[in-house]
Amino acid sequence: MKNIYKIFIPILIFAGLFLSCDDELNQLPYDEFATENAYVTAQDFENGLRGVYSALTSGGLYGSSDAGSLLSAPDILADNVTLSQRGRFSKRTLHDYEYNSNSTLGGTYSDAYALIFRANQILYYVQNFEGESKNNVIAEAKALRALAHFNLVTFFGKIPTQSGDANSSLGVAYVQEPDPNIEPSRLSVSESYNKILDDLLDAKSKINPSNPVGRMNQDAVNVLLSRVYLYMGEWQNSIDAANQVDYQIASRDNVVGVWEDTNQDGLIFYIPNVDPILGNSIGVTWSQGSMTSLIPEYVTSFQLNNLFAEDDIRKEAYTFEGLSGGNAYNGIKKLFGRPGQTNGEVDYKIFRAAEVYLNKAEAYYNLGNESSARSALDELRNRRYLNPPNGETGIDLRDAIRLERRLEFAFEYQRFFDLKRWGLSVNRTNAGDQADGSGTPSDVLNLSSGSTLFQLPLSQQSLDVNPNLQQNPGY
Amino acid sequence: MKKNYFKWLVFMFFSITTVLAQENSISGVVTDTTGEPLIGVNIIEKGTDNGTQTDFDGNFTLNVDNEKTIIFSFIGYISVERKISDSNTSYNVQLQEDASKLEEVVVTGYSRRNKTVQTSAVVSISASEIAELTPSTSIDNLIQGKAAGVQVTAANGKPGEGAFVRIRGVGSLSAGASSPLYIVDGSVVREQDLGTISNQDIENLSVLKDAATTARYGSRGANGVVVITTKNGSRSKDAEIRFSSRFGYSERIQPNFDIMNASQKMQYEAELYSLGVSAASNLPGVTTLPGSLERQFLLDYQTDWQDLMLKDGYIQSNNVSMSGGMENMDYYFSVGYDKNAGIIDQLDGFERINTRLNLNFDAKDWLKVGINVGYSRSTSDEPRDRNNVQNPFRAMYDYNAYETEFELDENGIPILDENGNPIYTPTHTTFNVRGALLSEPAFEIKNNFLSSVDAEIMFSDNFSYGFNTSINALNQRREFYSKPGGILDSIIGDPDNPGNKFDDGDYLFDMTMSNRLNYNYLSDTHNLNVLGLFEYNYNENNAYNLRSIGFPSELLTTQINAAQVTSASTLKNVLTLVSYGLFADYDFEQKYLASASVRYDGSSNFGRDTRWGLFYSGSLGWNIAKEDFFNVDKINDLKLRASYGTVGNRNGISRYAAQDNVSFGSYPGGSATIPSNIGNPELKWETTATTNIGLEFNLFNRRIRGVADYFERNTTDLLFAIPTSDEAGVGSIFGNLGEIQNKGFELSLQGDIVRNNNWKWTLGGNIFFLDHEIVELPDGEDVIPDNAFNILFREGAMINEHYLVRYAGVDPNNGAPLFYGADNEVYRAGDLPEGENRVLQGKSTIADKEGGFFTDLNYKGWGLRADFVFKSGNWINNFVRSNLNSDGINIDDNQALSAFNYWQQPGDTNVQPSPVYRNEANSVNSDRFLEKGDYIRMRNITFSYSFPSQLLDKIPFNSMRLYVQGQNLLTFTEFYGDPEVGISSGETINFANTVAPGEATLYSYPNTKSVNFGIDISF
Repeated sequence: MKNIYKIFIPILIFAGLFLSCDDELNQLPYDEFATENAYVTAQDFENGLRGVYSALTSGGLYGSSDAGSLLSAPDILADNVTLSQRGRFSKRTLHDYEYNSNSTLGGTYSDAYALIFRANQILYYVQNFEGESKNNVIAEAKALRALAHFNLVTFFGKIPTQSGDANSSLGVAYVQEPDPNIEPSRLSVSESYNKILDDLLDAKSKINPSNPVGRMNQDAVNVLLSRVYLYMGEWQNSIDAANQVDYQIASRDNVVGVWEDTNQDGLIFYIPNVDPILGNSIGVTWSQGSMTSLIPEYVTSFQLNNLFAEDDIRKEAYTFEGLSGGNAYNGIKKLFGRPGQTNGEVDYKIFRAAEVYLNKAEAYYNLGNESSARSALDELRNRRYLNPPNGETGIDLRDAIRLERRLEFAFEYQRFFDLKRWGLSVNRTNAGDQADGSGTPSDVLNLSSGSTLFQLPLSQQSLDVNPNLQQNPGY
Repeated sequence: MKKNYFKWLVFMFFSITTVLAQENSISGVVTDTTGEPLIGVNIIEKGTDNGTQTDFDGNFTLNVDNEKTIIFSFIGYISVERKISDSNTSYNVQLQEDASKLEEVVVTGYSRRNKTVQTSAVVSISASEIAELTPSTSIDNLIQGKAAGVQVTAANGKPGEGAFVRIRGVGSLSAGASSPLYIVDGSVVREQDLGTISNQDIENLSVLKDAATTARYGSRGANGVVVITTKNGSRSKDAEIRFSSRFGYSERIQPNFDIMNASQKMQYEAELYSLGVSAASNLPGVTTLPGSLERQFLLDYQTDWQDLMLKDGYIQSNNVSMSGGMENMDYYFSVGYDKNAGIIDQLDGFERINTRLNLNFDAKDWLKVGINVGYSRSTSDEPRDRNNVQNPFRAMYDYNAYETEFELDENGIPILDENGNPIYTPTHTTFNVRGALLSEPAFEIKNNFLSSVDAEIMFSDNFSYGFNTSINALNQRREFYSKPGGILDSIIGDPDNPGNKFDDGDYLFDMTMSNRLNYNYLSDTHNLNVLGLFEYNYNENNAYNLRSIGFPSELLTTQINAAQVTSASTLKNVLTLVSYGLFADYDFEQKYLASASVRYDGSSNFGRDTRWGLFYSGSLGWNIAKEDFFNVDKINDLKLRASYGTVGNRNGISRYAAQDNVSFGSYPGGSATIPSNIGNPELKWETTATTNIGLEFNLFNRRIRGVADYFERNTTDLLFAIPTSDEAGVGSIFGNLGEIQNKGFELSLQGDIVRNNNWKWTLGGNIFFLDHEIVELPDGEDVIPDNAFNILFREGAMINEHYLVRYAGVDPNNGAPLFYGADNEVYRAGDLPEGENRVLQGKSTIADKEGGFFTDLNYKGWGLRADFVFKSGNWINNFVRSNLNSDGINIDDNQALSAFNYWQQPGDTNVQPSPVYRNEANSVNSDRFLEKGDYIRMRNITFSYSFPSQLLDKIPFNSMRLYVQGQNLLTFTEFYGDPEVGISSGETINFANTVAPGEATLYSYPNTKSVNFGIDISF
């Protein structure tokens, strides 16, 4: 009897395990979801679109990265800010134009293409989707894809109006398929801009007039379109796109509040940034600490600070005087924090109505229509000054438009590109980092307009993994 | 019914004999076959606990009843039974050595084999050897220098931290996949968790190196297997209680370079400012004049930051164990406590408490049961291991000596805040880590439960069935607190919600259930063992993390006190493995040996159709010295063996890598779909084929012992995260990629130079020569791995070669740094030819020679032992040196004294570049600071005294040993800094993700040296 038990026990255990174990090899993830099931319903595509948008908040795009990002690089590369001696010397290679293929905006490059992959994934799966939101899904995905490529080509390529050879020079690879195995080569600048236009025009025709907060709508697409045409030098198209934007510039009374998130006047496309959904301290890109114990990475340049007229509300809205180590510094306020806060947690503002008028003013001026240019400019100035300057003509009008663009979009992802597309040099003054202009000036004061440094180098890492990629001249 | 009747009869019989029995005092001498007395032989009345031990002359006396049987037993000898008769009171017994027991037992996983019939390259390290190297709290550190072919790189010097162990080279190109498989009593333990196991509990540690044995682990043995078994008691032996205790101190191994003091740094600043380094303009070397009051103030109150930041830590270890056994059961029980305070001032370091119970018993005559249960809890401070001044080991180099810890008034007295506490200076880095060590506490707690339950059923003398369930459950938790008002909180905190707390934890569960069907055939000439295996392994990870802000007091550290939760999540993933195996071992008169194995494994992380892998091995051995025709007196043993086999690997990829997956984040409005994995449905096993030829010999009455092995390992279908183009936007995709090869020769030799009654002097050592090559990559294209700095994989190159531009020194005419272009011509940085100038130069992070040697001298009870480890042929990119010699780029940070040695006038050679060209020097990613990592280090020196029997007679101890032991007291190296480099910076590339251990220095916890005093007592 006993021996029978002895044999039975192992046989039972063996048999039991054999029967159950093979199924145990079919494991599905708990924290993830099969891609093919993730883009089916209308809700899935909404989730998918938000996934593309969330890429905008990554460190290399509108998020904050110590290596530099869209959020800060266009001002650090230009004349609006001065490196502070009280900070951590972050992004110094950008400010001092010491970048090379080993130290460049590699994060911006890869983050932009990560966004593009997400958009392409949606565009691939949406082909089999026939819900009523289909057109809008396509439109938003294409608009975002265009925005990401546009940000890439402005950093890494020339801008069409920058110089005569710009259009035929190296642009960027324009990716339209969610294919992980591509090794594309770069298009020319004009080809790149044409692809951007294709996407934006299709988006414009299909996108909803209004979409939930944190997403692009028809106005946002038109703002971007107007800017792209402006960069291309297609003045009338820029005006036409701008004219389709139905949005008012923030009133003077609201300007300070816009940057403390107490109102959203004039914001066409912004991303709410509140714990626990995003809650990112993006403002640390400019400074940390409080106003009385400030750790500024960069300060408002003495030059820019003096350009703000006393009755210009933007001086108060964009800058502040902070103390650090007993000295006063002109801090940058745009991302400083909500009222009472200094943590740098504020909404991401991507497109504002003010740009529409500045684009129009510049385009009209270039078409020789000074009165329309002036009136577009005054739309903005009337909402910024108590006693707005007015009545300029000729070169003075051009300079007034440029000045207003510099002031309005100080610390807001435009300055370097504006200088670049106008074919201008970067000219910093010898003033120091402190509020009164004393202290340590920037190491490098000039970047002449023809310099190859206006086109940032591709990173060595990108070149290593894609043999078809061509580095910019000069690196 | 029948049985009860029998029991009753037995009882009656015993009752009667007890009545009849007469007590008798017996005595005698126990000797070995040479007539030498044996000390400590157990003499026990069979079936009782009545017993004694022989004294130092082999004598014993015992009161025992007539007609009883007494057993003489002694480890390493065959036990003898004698029946007592009243006519005889003198029992002189000669014990014979048990050849099979004396031989080293090799634990090969599913079985134990003695070394004579072993056909595999295996190194076995015994408990006594481990005991001599105790001060390491981690097992893997102990292996270094002990086993030929095993390369060990300490992760860093952090107390409780382990080491990177690589057996016979690097077997995989992906992160975390080159570690061996660690099996502790049947449970799989991760390399980074070995610190949870007390080395006092280890009975045997066997390193399985070739396929003859590793193939039995089929799926997971590709990088070698380390089988660890814990101690058991001895049957029929009275309890032995052992107490081990030691106490000592540790300190940083002093670096072999100096950094600047206040006056040197200020002089350097002034010099560089005059050379146009404008960043120096606001530094005190420029803003204060030599001889001025301000300058004097800075000099008077200068700080030695290394001194301030570091301390001499203490080490403490106590362990008690009890072991013994009855006729049909044995037990081992232990409790241990270890403490290593580490060397960071203001932190407590590492602490571990562990308990273990191992129990084996014969439940029935056909059923044996074994239970091993161990529990340990370790607590470790977690200072930031990152590449900035939040890391104290970076801060102590970066802070300038003229900066002070606290804000001082004009009299040099610390200024107090409103609470009367001194105020930390922000330093030039804006972050004072001295204050942060207090205001930003972080620690980790690991609770590890290891259990193994084994039942073995004997069908007959030949057939048995075994069932084993082994569980490793690790519950670990990390807590990071930024106290309200602390250093970090005042920089990035929310004034409305001061302070923040981040907790995260893992529950890692690993269970292996194995069924073994065993057939054993033993005759005078043939010995055959066949084992059938069916095994299931289930591994589940659960993790959580949550973060809150708003703490009312810095004394409150639990998140229930927080005002607002800012993030929280939980994670879970599962990995399973199903295995079938058939193993056979055969020998003929112990002369001709053969083994074979087949194993068929399926793993859940591979593609559905590609998840099964077949692994096999075969090996042969010949004990030449046992042949009749072989008659060389001088050669006692001579064995030739050869093996070939294949083994798999499934590590280095994510658990669902074969599947296309998305994950979900959040974005205003709702969920956000984020592509998280591009699946590869064809993902399959990485396979390593190993060929091994070995020779084992013992000469001159076994005074000289040696093992030599040659091997070739070919790994194909490498598992790898293959980077895609940046434009694809997906990062990298897991795939099976290419082939690598490791070849090598191992030699290990030991000799008893002197061996007589009083003296014994043994010298020994081992060396490992390694040759490795990347044979094939997909499409022949180069691969730059993630989780490394400047490593490039290229066909035909070595594994883990540095990929850098070659530095050509300084132009003696103007002090500019020069570099080699790809065309081997010398250029200034800006003139380097377009395209790629980085090259591979055959400089790998992997040592091509590594090993250890020892000397062990014993005279009567005195012992002096020293162990050395050495490594040669590896290259380390010394980022720390680069930062300390930055040519003025980091002028605001303190610099090494060697930074003064820059070019000053035409003709200067052997200097660093002129600071004028600092940007130029910095713009090229060169090998300027790539250094040889060669070193010899005295890992251990122990001076000990074991009390002789005459003395012990008078005290109630059976043995007593006192020792003083030093660790890492001597190092010989040319390297700038400490050459034992594992982790560069744990927060840049963590332990598990490290592709190339020792690639670079980046301020991880420095290695320490220590001196310990210890005592071991048993009674």
